[in-house]
Amino acid sequence: MLELVPRAQFSLVIPPKLLQEGYLVSFASDWPSTHNAIREKTFRIDAVNQVPYDRSYILPTGAVGTLYRDVDFSNGSGAFQESIYPENQNTLFEVLLGFKPGNFLSHWYLPAGKSIHNLEYAQMYPDLTNADRMYLGARQPKDSPYEDPRIKLYFVKDLAPLIMRLYVLAGVDFEKIVVGLTINKCLMREIAQPTDDQKLKAKVIRYFNYLRW
Amino acid sequence: MPSLVVTAHTTAQAIAAERGNAVVKAKSLTIDNQVGAGDCAITIQDSFTPAPYVGVDAPGAQVIDRFRALVEAGDIITWGEEDLRGVKCLGAMLVDSDLIKATCYITVGYEHE
Repeated sequence: MLELVPRAQFSLVIPPKLLQEGYLVSFASDWPSTHNAIREKTFRIDAVNQVPYDRSYILPTGAVGTLYRDVDFSNGSGAFQESIYPENQNTLFEVLLGFKPGNFLSHWYLPAGKSIHNLEYAQMYPDLTNADRMYLGARQPKDSPYEDPRIKLYFVKDLAPLIMRLYVLAGVDFEKIVVGLTINKCLMREIAQPTDDQKLKAKVIRYFNYLRW
Repeated sequence: MPSLVVTAHTTAQAIAAERGNAVVKAKSLTIDNQVGAGDCAITIQDSFTPAPYVGVDAPGAQVIDRFRALVEAGDIITWGEEDLRGVKCLGAMLVDSDLIKATCYITVGYEHE
């Protein structure tokens, strides 16, 4: 009938979603030699700047797998390139990506043509031309809502092109796909000889190949 | 919620401009056709140009009907948010009519979402 609620024994601290000034990052040894400037090195984030950027694409639906749009995040003047990769070796772009609701799905390729989300059995790879496997590995709007994005990407200079393939599901004539990006520009400074403690605290960023084994 | 009044016209009247990061949703619609002769068939239209996609570098412009109602002469009809749920324009929102009638007033409430 009468209860004194005891003092909480712990408090919950939710860390920031994005890298902050003073945070440490390190790049694993699986980065190829073309990325020697960052490979197996530890950096301190000296400055951050969050840049919001909304993109939208109105796309038609069509026969299974025939109509889609590739969004290429790499830099360039191509029709499908979004040019949101860094141009400097000492810059890391941490990108949050969310979708507004809609009847569509996205498939992810890195580099172009190589899906990130294959399974191990033969032919178990995302395939827009297959009515079942079009959902394999597909990220839908509910997976990363615009207001609470959960897809996080890391871009460094000269990273292979990351492709997001957008596909409108059957049942609607057209759909407007709104992609909300928050690009956290991080200025990095190399720590020449990181201590063990710094190595432990650093966020490890691995090369994308680790997603496939 | 912004709203706009236009009169019935066979040339589609602009209600809300296209916005890059949002769709336009109809929230209320009143068609006042109490004065004068002539029934009015009113259509909410969606006007946009799709983005380039595989194999199509420059898709053609589209105008798609999203809602249609016939209001007889002497009538005034209002649709609320519940009635208009699902009426969504990907591009600009337009209102078209099957005849020109300066005494038929169309009031559209809308929001970009």
